[in-house]
Amino acid sequence: MPLSSDLEQVATAAARGVRARARTPVRPPSFELRMMTPALVLLAALSLLPFLMLVYMGFTEVKLLGGLRFEYAGVDNWQRLLTDPDVRASWLVSFVYLVLTLGAEMLLGVVTALVLYRITRGRGLVFALVLLPMFLAPIIVGLLGRFLTDSTIGLYAWVLRGLGFEGDVLGNGTTALIAVVAMDVWQWTPLVALITLAGLSAVPQPLLEAAAVDGAGYWQTLRSVVFPTIQGVLLVALLVRAMDAVRFFDIITITTNGGPADATKIIPIRLYETAFRFREIGYASVIGLVMLLFSIILANVFVGVLGRKGLTK
Amino acid sequence: MNGSHQVSRRALLRGIGAGAAGALAYAALSACGGSEGGGSAPAAGGDPWKRFQGTTINFISENTAPSAAIAANTKPFEDLTGIKINIQQMELTKLVENVSLDFSSGTAGYHVIYADPYQVLAPFSEGLVDLNEFVGNSDFPQPEKGLEDFIPSQLQAAGRFLDSDKLYALPYDTPTMIWQYRADLFEKYHDKMADDLGFDPTPSINLTWDQYFQIAEWFNKNAKDDVAYGTGHQAKQHDSLQCDFSNLLWAYGGDYFEGGQELGTLGTKSPGKSTLTSDAAVAAAEFYNKLLGIAHPGSRTWDWDGVANAFQAGQIAMCPNWHEFAAGNEKALPGKVGYAPLPKGPARSANIWGGTGIGINANCSEAERGAAWLFLNWATSPETQFMTLASEVGGGTPTRTSVYQRPEVEEAKKRPSKLPNILTADAVNEAWKPENIGLRPKVATWNQLNTALFTELSRMITGAVKPDAAMRTVAQKFDEINKV
Repeated sequence: MPLSSDLEQVATAAARGVRARARTPVRPPSFELRMMTPALVLLAALSLLPFLMLVYMGFTEVKLLGGLRFEYAGVDNWQRLLTDPDVRASWLVSFVYLVLTLGAEMLLGVVTALVLYRITRGRGLVFALVLLPMFLAPIIVGLLGRFLTDSTIGLYAWVLRGLGFEGDVLGNGTTALIAVVAMDVWQWTPLVALITLAGLSAVPQPLLEAAAVDGAGYWQTLRSVVFPTIQGVLLVALLVRAMDAVRFFDIITITTNGGPADATKIIPIRLYETAFRFREIGYASVIGLVMLLFSIILANVFVGVLGRKGLTK
Repeated sequence: MNGSHQVSRRALLRGIGAGAAGALAYAALSACGGSEGGGSAPAAGGDPWKRFQGTTINFISENTAPSAAIAANTKPFEDLTGIKINIQQMELTKLVENVSLDFSSGTAGYHVIYADPYQVLAPFSEGLVDLNEFVGNSDFPQPEKGLEDFIPSQLQAAGRFLDSDKLYALPYDTPTMIWQYRADLFEKYHDKMADDLGFDPTPSINLTWDQYFQIAEWFNKNAKDDVAYGTGHQAKQHDSLQCDFSNLLWAYGGDYFEGGQELGTLGTKSPGKSTLTSDAAVAAAEFYNKLLGIAHPGSRTWDWDGVANAFQAGQIAMCPNWHEFAAGNEKALPGKVGYAPLPKGPARSANIWGGTGIGINANCSEAERGAAWLFLNWATSPETQFMTLASEVGGGTPTRTSVYQRPEVEEAKKRPSKLPNILTADAVNEAWKPENIGLRPKVATWNQLNTALFTELSRMITGAVKPDAAMRTVAQKFDEINKV
């Protein structure tokens, strides 16, 4: 069949389709859609509009005093972001912070869950005690941490002095970073333990019995049976904590406020300082958008891994 | 049946929609209103102090001595004016952020603003009312004893910016950094210290920063049973670090800009290139770094409150700190603390001035402006300043000349004193002399400059960079921020 004839047939079919669609009466939105519309509009107003506003502000210089004004700035803010060594340094600190907190929380959370799983007597009480830090406001955790590490009255500072550490925990870049990581780990390890424990409870008993019958030891059972079974749950825990760690703010604000020497100035602290201390809203919008992009990429990586393992179904 | 259901659902949704819209509109209107009593000002006439009765105003302040004293005793103002005053106190950094947000919102959540000359007045002067609207206006009560009663240089520094004809704030407090020391320990070790060091260690303006260092080191080595460290500093990565360092910078003959101390009163739009790479500035940075090397290790985590707490807890023998902490010192260590102006450097003794004014948010309604003026007037009056000075919870730092001339204030310079902050009077008067006072540059970009400075100083004292490199980086950042 010649090519022109094919094209004619396709065109005729398309025209028929258009006429058919034109004749079909427009269906009114379903009852469900109508019921959901107010909520969808509200959601759009709460998330989509601010997002679009953020993108717009990223290309402007925002003047706040004497009435809100936006002065077009082109790609200045984006250019500045790419050449700003302070922002680069904050991303580096954020990355180190993310790796340390996630690593420690996952390790300690899984160990705690395994211990809790084996406890039979008084499990409820131990469980309640373990979960306690999670229910505190982060600002309180920060205050507690500050008092405990205070070089004049702090219990931990006193213990560390006994061990030969003469400095001030929050006065040295390395120890300050370790301290804020430890505070976050103390507060959120219970969440990882809780999620892991839920996964452990779902490991099929016959599978464990079969492993025992086959002579598998504790470590071998963990490696070959338990971890493969709960890996989806562990990834979810990792995802939840990673998303949280990217926007960590309260504890650092109350303890070090980014110091000393910017050693704990992670990107949310830098963003806050840029927006609310220096009033550079346009530039802060760009920093925020990059944070958002980073979070989306991170979430997609986790969801991708879950998908490849067939765990998102 | 189905149809009637649809109708009733629609009616229900319409009702909910209308209710929600009404609620949102009410919330929006309430937010715009800001407080009770907003709107136009009542006509003049009658008792001018009662003209705005029924109005509510909000005062945002740093958690500082006079505000604590006023917050604990607002009744006299409320009785006098019929105005309700809400006082919100917070750490200075948070105050600056909140004020910035409030000005930006275009509404007046806060009507009376604690206007730090450097962090609030300079960057936000457009957001403050020019008080000439009230001064000399017969419809409003005038400041008792006139503006002339305010210490003149402080009225200039705390109240004006760029234009000497405009007045944005009335001087409210006047903390100044001086040398605070454990007089009991200096007395106990005086002779031994004098023998070892070869000079009289009694703190005074005649001693040098080098001698201060030697005294601190002597305490570290010889008085561990009485005190953990000789000196402590407010060297947290915070505004306080800039304040602590500035004393040294000026004492060594350095300054932030070519205009030097001249920029500390009226301020400037264009301060020019930074002079922090000068030999004097680098020498000051080197000495400060050395001093922090022997200071209490907690210094790197302390702001002014932290160093005051450590001093009062007996952790350090001496420190430079704001004189308003004298009231707390006397409570914790009664009779054991002495005060002197800060030591000299190669150039002079420099004692940083940290005074602040209070101003009115320009977004206020007419009635709120009037009510806010009455509060400004009352809070800075000689009688109220005397009340804050004597307060159990506060211990103010008066900005009125006439307060210092009162016989009971004169008498309080000697122990036992009912006005403990006045025990610092001799040291503070010496510190206030033009040749000894230290004034930061008043520029609109100060918040950025300040952050760049204290961040780099923090890097220096934690060993991340050398003093000369730190000063070079700060100077470069100053020039970038000021676009010169």
